[in-house]
This record gives sequence, structure tokens and C-alpha cells, in this order.
Amino acid sequence: MSEENRKRRAALLAGGAAGLVNGFFGGGGGMVLVPLFIRRCKLCQQNAFASSVAVILPLCVLSASIYLYHGNLNLATAAPYLAGGLVGGLIGGKIFHRVSMVWLRRLFALLILYGAFRSLCA
Amino acid sequence: MTWGLAFAVGCATGILSGFGVGGGTLLLIYLTAFAGLPQQEAQGINLIYFLPAALTALPSHMKHHFVDWKAVIPAVIAGLIFSGLAAWFSNGLDMTLLRKIFGVFLLIVGISELFPRATSNRKEIPTEKRS
Repeated sequence: MSEENRKRRAALLAGGAAGLVNGFFGGGGGMVLVPLFIRRCKLCQQNAFASSVAVILPLCVLSASIYLYHGNLNLATAAPYLAGGLVGGLIGGKIFHRVSMVWLRRLFALLILYGAFRSLCA
Repeated sequence: MTWGLAFAVGCATGILSGFGVGGGTLLLIYLTAFAGLPQQEAQGINLIYFLPAALTALPSHMKHHFVDWKAVIPAVIAGLIFSGLAAWFSNGLDMTLLRKIFGVFLLIVGISELFPRATSNRKEIPTEKRS
């Protein structure tokens, strides 16, 4: 199997796994996709992060429409978060190439664990 | 006041979402644990919130050639199929169960982020970074 095919197959599997998580939990697909992109598809770290944004976007469009259809998406409540996301995404994209991921990921891990604790003990 | 707070939170997590390191997961935690929204409704908000965050971040990523389309395209094809099925299934589930499953998922992700395996340490070597 050529390197090209291997990468394509790994990307199919990575995308499928990310899709499952993203649709089921309404987010977090990137958390699955980035490590798989790095380990299985041999992308460098920055490419893996940036490419994951491009993959998750269409997945979110599809899942959001399904949530909307089921009445689980309140656009009025969502509006301020959307506006914030717009500004945040713009800043994130601009400074991404200058950011060191190491400490960011450690802080992020602690916040995630706190969320796990809250969800499990609620 | 609440509008301003929601905007600020969206902005902060939006930076992380733009990076691709899971701002959405943080926003979900905020929406359920602090804003007190039901799990499914929080997930709905989180999904649509990613649209503006990703759309504004992507042009920069593409300009710096960080997006590897050969990996993105197959991942999108498989991802669309599975996320559609999973979203449909998830909307019919009991909320407390969904929240527990989410907690276990966070626990796994949090631990694996905090203690990365030997293979993932490699990517922290600065020489691998693009200039």
C-alpha cells in the first residue's frame, strides 16, 4: 500500500471517530482528531490542529441542524456565544503560528478534568 | 450583563477553538456546570458556536499552509456520516445518562492530555516546529 493510500485510510478512520464523538457529545471532535492526525496520519502538530478546524466545521453544520430539528438548539441563547466565537476565532487564527502548545495543553487538561469531575458528581 | 458574560466566554473559548485545541469542550463545561443549561441544549449551542469561530480562524490557517487537504477531505467524508448518526442517536437519549457518559469522556481526554504518551512527546521538540 502506498504512503498516500495509507494516509487516506488513516484519515478516514480518524474522521469517523471524530464524527462519532462530535455528534454524540456536541463537540470535542477535535480532541480525538488532533492526536489521530499526528500519530496515524503523520501530520506535524500545527498542521494537525489547523486541519482539525477544517474537518470539524462541516461536521458541526450537520450536527447543529439535527439538534435544531430536535428542538435542542435555542438560537436566542446561542447568539452571544456566536458573537464571542466570531471574535475569538479571528484572534485565535491570527496568533496561532506564534503560540507554544505545551503549557496551553497542560492548563487545558486541568480544566477538562475539572469538567469531568463536575459532570460525574452533579 | 449576562449577554456580556456570554460574549466574553465565547470570545475566550473561541481563541482555543481557532487553535483547534478544544475550545468547544471548555464551552460545554461552562454551559452545563456554570450557566446551568440542560446537556442537549448546551451541545446544540456549542455546535453552532463553532461555525463563526472556525470560519474566522480558517483563512489564517490556510494562508500559513497549515491545512493538509489530503488528510482533511477523507476525514470530512467519514466524519459527516458518523457525526450525523451519532447526533441523531444522542438527541433521543436520557439527559442524566448523557451527562455521565460525557463525564467519562472528559476524564479520559483530561488524563491523556495531562500525561501524553512517549510518541506524542516528540511533537513538543521545537525543531519540528515550522518557522
